[in-house]
Amino acid sequence: MTNEELNALPIAKTVDARGTACPGPLLAAKKAIGEINPGDIMEILSSDEGTKKDIPKWANKKGHEYLGTAEESGFFKIFMKK
Amino acid sequence: MAKMCMGLFTGSVDKLIGAGVVLSGAAADDMDVDVFVLLQGARAFIKGNEDKIDNLSEATHLKEEFFEALEKVNVPKWHEFFEQAKELTNVKIHVCSLAGKLWGGEKIEDFNELVDDICGIGEYITAAEEADVHLFI
Repeated sequence: MTNEELNALPIAKTVDARGTACPGPLLAAKKAIGEINPGDIMEILSSDEGTKKDIPKWANKKGHEYLGTAEESGFFKIFMKK
Repeated sequence: MAKMCMGLFTGSVDKLIGAGVVLSGAAADDMDVDVFVLLQGARAFIKGNEDKIDNLSEATHLKEEFFEALEKVNVPKWHEFFEQAKELTNVKIHVCSLAGKLWGGEKIEDFNELVDDICGIGEYITAAEEADVHLFI
C-alpha cells in the first residue's frame, strides 16, 4: 500500500509511542490491541527505528495483519489489522 | 504457550535493564516466564533497594554518561520494566534462598512486590529443562 492508501484507512485506535525507545512502542501496541475488535485497524506512531521490524513481526506472529508503514516527518506510522 | 526461563545472577543496573527489555519482549509474545534470582541479583529485590542500585557491570568508567543517556532516551527504571512485564504476561520471580540470605532476605516480606516466592536451585534446574528459551544474565 502507498502512504496515501495507508493514511486513508479507517483507524479504530491510534497509539502514539513517539518519544519512547524499544521496547516501549511494542508494549504500547500489545496493550492497545486488547482494546479493539477483530477486523479493526490500529496505527502505531513511533520514531524508534527498531519498531519498524519489531511490530510487523510481532503482528504476524500473533495472527494480526501488518498492512504497511507510512513515513512522516521525524516519525512513521505502522498500520495493522487485528 | 512458549516458556522462558531466566537465571538472573547479576544485580547491576545495566544488566537489570537488559533483563527488563528481554522480559518486555517475552511479555509482548505472551510467553510464560520464570525468573530465578541468584546470588548478586537478589540485592536488587530486597525491599527498599529498587532505586538504590546504581552500579554497572560493563563500561563502569562511563557510568555518568550512561545514566545521562538513559534519561535522555526516556528509558524506564529497571523495576518498571519488570512491573510492566508482570502486568502483561505470566512472569514469576523466584529468589534463590541462599541468594536472599546473603543480602538479609530470609522471608518473602523481606523482598519487594516483584518477588513471588523463595525457591531452591532444583526448581531453577527443572524450569530450565522445561523452557523453550533459557537465558543466564
